[in-house]
Amino acid sequence: MIPQEIWIWVGAILTLFIFSFLYGDNPFYRFAEHLYVGVSVGYTIAITWHNFFYPDLVVPLFKQGNLFYLIPFLLGILYFSIFFPKISWLIRIPMGFVLGYSSGVAIPAILQANIIKQMQGTFLTPDLLKRPDLILWGIVSLIGVVATVIYFFFSREQKGLTKGMANLGIIFLMIGFGASFGYTVMARVSLLLGRLQFLLRDWLGVIK
Amino acid sequence: MSFWEKLGKIDRKIIFLLMAVVIIIPLLSPLNLVGKVGRRTQELFRAIDNLPENSYLLITIDFDPQSMPELYPMYLAILRHAFAKNLRVIVTGLWVTGVGLGEDGLKTVAPEYNKVYGRDYVFLGWKPGITAVVLGMGRSMKETFPTDYYGTSYDSLPIFTKDITYRDIPFMVSLSAGVPGYETWIAYAQSRFGIRIGAGVTAVSAADAYPYLQSGQLTGLLGGMKAAAEYEFLNEKAGFTKAFKPASQLMDSQSLAHLVIMILVIIGNISYFALRRKR
Repeated sequence: MIPQEIWIWVGAILTLFIFSFLYGDNPFYRFAEHLYVGVSVGYTIAITWHNFFYPDLVVPLFKQGNLFYLIPFLLGILYFSIFFPKISWLIRIPMGFVLGYSSGVAIPAILQANIIKQMQGTFLTPDLLKRPDLILWGIVSLIGVVATVIYFFFSREQKGLTKGMANLGIIFLMIGFGASFGYTVMARVSLLLGRLQFLLRDWLGVIK
Repeated sequence: MSFWEKLGKIDRKIIFLLMAVVIIIPLLSPLNLVGKVGRRTQELFRAIDNLPENSYLLITIDFDPQSMPELYPMYLAILRHAFAKNLRVIVTGLWVTGVGLGEDGLKTVAPEYNKVYGRDYVFLGWKPGITAVVLGMGRSMKETFPTDYYGTSYDSLPIFTKDITYRDIPFMVSLSAGVPGYETWIAYAQSRFGIRIGAGVTAVSAADAYPYLQSGQLTGLLGGMKAAAEYEFLNEKAGFTKAFKPASQLMDSQSLAHLVIMILVIIGNISYFALRRKR
């Protein structure tokens, strides 16, 4: 078995290869980038086989003889018909099945979670009105949502009250973008910090 | 070239170097800046803390190594909290490249609390299909995961006393770096089966998660490395762990880096407006 320290060295060297892009594009960076993509694909294939394909299809179908599993097996095989022009139309069968299933499942779920529940969350409900700590933000949210939606209402010329509300909507949008940008900065710095922690702690051992 | 022009055209390599210095110095010599624990972190901590002993806690690893610096410390902190409270932990995930991280976290934390695999915690690994997997767990955990990650059959795992569903799981946490992630669990597991969900997300997507708090769809939110550090602090304060706190170690550097970025943004704007006035 290869000792763990070797993998720390491999990780550290590959990290430095990737960091070398800060100076400019170079073969070391490209090597590490291609290696990452290759390893990810190989890893995905191995996990899919061991965690799904073998226990959930090969074992029940070929070892236990459960013929029900022939249906998903054949549907899966039909995906490969794309490589044979004469029968490539067969791919429509599994694609149709997957698209039909996905749409049927997704539409009501997304509608419920992302539209109905979100609208409910914007309303000033009696429960919210009882909470002095939440009521201010409840009102701000309601005004913000209405103003932003008005900004995106293009079916009529915006003038008078709608123009004012649309301008208010822009302010809310800008605050939202600012928050997203601030969080993005934090995320990117965090990624750098994570790698530096690995280099200084796990590899070089200069911090504890 | 005027001073303002020079200022607006600083070589990016100098900025990289400046950032590196600002980040490395606090790592070598910590400043011990004091932070405040956010309300959303406290909500998630309380939600897990209030679970009765031996309750199931579902943790989903919906991220990969690219988001490891932010989400992996959250995972370790939540695991420590769960094991300290003697919860039964079920770990799975919707990202195939997160499987190794899920396993690694359990192997790191479980021995600290003398937890036994199969009895106190289980790792179910990953299955393709996303919606089919999430919906399937609401109908039958056993049918969705006939075996765990290591190939042990569901019936042989003492942690499962029966074929459980979301009804048996009072709370779950999705550690999410994108799609599929906490939104998937909300859409399919919560809207259909009503499970309570908390989320840990990368800072990039934290702003997008706030509307789900307002609507009550999320119970608590950890946004980025700062929230991970807050959770580590709460764990230590409650006496649940004395283990190394990876996120907390980096917060001084994070704060200084933000300060430098803010200064650079201000300098850039001053330079821009000064040059515009000149023209």
